[in-house]
Amino acid sequence: MISYRKILCSAVAAAALLVGPALAEEKPAALGVGVFSFTSGGTAAYGKPGRDAAELMIERINAKGGIGGVPLSATYVDEGQGTEGVIAEYRKLAGDAATQVMIAALSSGNCMALAPVSDQMKIPTVGWNCDTHQLYLKDAHPYFFRPNGNTVPEFVAYAAYLIAVKPDVKRIAIINPDYAFGHDAAKIFTSAIKAFKPDVEVVAELFPKLGAGTYQTEISRLTAARPDVIFSNLWGGDLENFVRQASPRGLFRSSQAVLALGESSMQNVQIPEGVIVGVLGDGWWMSPDAAANPETKEFADAYKAKYGKWPVFPAMKMANSFLYVQAAYEKAMAGNGGKWPTREEVAGAMKGSEVKTLTGTMQTRADNDGVVDQIIGVTAKADGHDGPVIGDMVRYKGADLMPPAGEDPIAWIGTLAADLPAKLPQPGSYK
Amino acid sequence: MFETIVPLLIDGLANAALIFLVAVGLTLVFSVLRVLNVAHGSFYSIGAYAAASLGLWVVGAGLPGWLTFVSLVLSAALVAVIVGPVIERTLIRWTYGKSEAVQILVTFGLFLILEDLQRIVFGVDSFYEDTPVQLLGSIEIGGVVYLTYQLVLILLAAALFVGLKLFIGHTRIGKLIAAVVADREISQAMGINTNRVFMIAFSLGVFLAALGGALTVPQAGVSPGLGADTMVLAFAVAAIGGLGKIEGAAVAAVIVALARVLTIYFAPELDAVAPYLVMLLVLLVRPYGLFGSATTRKI
Repeated sequence: MISYRKILCSAVAAAALLVGPALAEEKPAALGVGVFSFTSGGTAAYGKPGRDAAELMIERINAKGGIGGVPLSATYVDEGQGTEGVIAEYRKLAGDAATQVMIAALSSGNCMALAPVSDQMKIPTVGWNCDTHQLYLKDAHPYFFRPNGNTVPEFVAYAAYLIAVKPDVKRIAIINPDYAFGHDAAKIFTSAIKAFKPDVEVVAELFPKLGAGTYQTEISRLTAARPDVIFSNLWGGDLENFVRQASPRGLFRSSQAVLALGESSMQNVQIPEGVIVGVLGDGWWMSPDAAANPETKEFADAYKAKYGKWPVFPAMKMANSFLYVQAAYEKAMAGNGGKWPTREEVAGAMKGSEVKTLTGTMQTRADNDGVVDQIIGVTAKADGHDGPVIGDMVRYKGADLMPPAGEDPIAWIGTLAADLPAKLPQPGSYK
Repeated sequence: MFETIVPLLIDGLANAALIFLVAVGLTLVFSVLRVLNVAHGSFYSIGAYAAASLGLWVVGAGLPGWLTFVSLVLSAALVAVIVGPVIERTLIRWTYGKSEAVQILVTFGLFLILEDLQRIVFGVDSFYEDTPVQLLGSIEIGGVVYLTYQLVLILLAAALFVGLKLFIGHTRIGKLIAAVVADREISQAMGINTNRVFMIAFSLGVFLAALGGALTVPQAGVSPGLGADTMVLAFAVAAIGGLGKIEGAAVAAVIVALARVLTIYFAPELDAVAPYLVMLLVLLVRPYGLFGSATTRKI
């Protein structure tokens, strides 16, 4: 005889089975997004525009009704607290059902730490700025996506541009920050230059610590080494300090400087004319493609009105990451009959996606790494603009500079043909 | 040869000048008060923020550019006059005669408070005011362009070293400080107001740290975290020279700065550890530092 208690238990279990999926498909009151960036310390000069862009994008998306009718609600996390704190905050947010997607992180070190956690907690995460090529080298990360691309195409592009504008280069010097991003960039740039022009000599390689503040001795060392070219991927406050200290000492007159993250500081510090700069991707708000897109102009104008500055490329990367998230939700909802998607469905929609952004296209490969074009040029003056702009631009196709998935990137760079820079689009061709 | 040695020397001495200012303040405070002040680096960064703020105000108000030089010294003096006596009377005085562990804990707590206060007051952005550098221009030596300001810093530090020696040896308050350093109890017995001497010496230490911070602004700016970096370096220099020794601080500052410069030129991967390698080597051979000596314990 079946007892009353057993009937009751069965009924409750059946109800749970029926109601469970129904709850997962219900639209939430808000779509919680964890947004990670540096908002304190010297690195905030680079991270703050990203955070500001997130705030503005949320306002703009919500003003148009949110995503699938659900407004976005962000929780901002400062990466300046260190990786341990960042992981703790990430776990706390991911454990909360209200947070359904993460846009994390700026730092490559933090992305390396968060990628396995995203897989463990099954929360789709967009690495909005981190670009270390090591992210997917050893392990696959099914929930971690990095649509903005990686360091290999970024720094190979600089080598190609440099060889195109200065084919007689013989001596290069490097000053990069003393952590993975700086050392990786040095290795990639040097490998690419040597592939294109094997007789190039590295005459000085300096790695001051992140946040060093003063670079006077390094500037003397660089000057004394008499390089034809000085390459640097210093960024944020470090880059600004370096430029302020190097300019009066004539460093930019005696050597051709390549400041890989120069555009992000052009509005804060006076970078001399003729310095090679870029945006580590296609996120130049004044590029011909961006200028032709009314949405980009609207965003840039709104950003300028709200924050008093034009959106530098970290801001554009963040804005594009929100469009990426929006596209994934819309694709996931289109695929499941308009129901609110689960985290798994959103991650599935990100995989292999191709998303139109404010500055171009983000192509996500099968390994979840992204392919974007690379824009590089030189600092120049322009009539009608109160600050420097990028002139003599080139836009390299991302796929032309991206190593195949699973291949050792440094070994791949070594296989690049010496005449590749001549075959690629030439400086000044992107107008 | 000339082209290699000259930049090394100039960079070394320019680095040493700023390190000396911080380390000599730390060592002076230790010699008089017998307190190892972990918060000393904060006075450096407060001096830098004050100088940057005052300099920016001078420029913003359209006052003559040469006033920015005055603002560097004035801001350090203001920090010393306002912060020095207040902290000495409220916190540091409480630690006199206490164990080193208590002193370090109290001053470390003070360091954390001051660091947070700076973030609250000045925010997280970098400050930069380089009018003095612009006014002085640049000079080419051995094929390398230097800021004339860097050379002025070397002269300033040398003048300050001489001035400090003269102050300690030839002024009334200097002699009182020397007496307290030699023997605190006998000084008290002789009628010296040691509490007043402590306050003056502490404020002088704050002034030297704040001046170091102020003088760094025109060439390097100021951003959060400056105090912590400086403090660690100042401790290494003070330990190498021998705690409490002004000559020791000067010589150690030059040695540490030259070691850093040499590593940047010839082994850049060792740049960060160079000061501590020097400290390790010196303390292995001379545990009391280059100018320090073993003291007999009083019972």
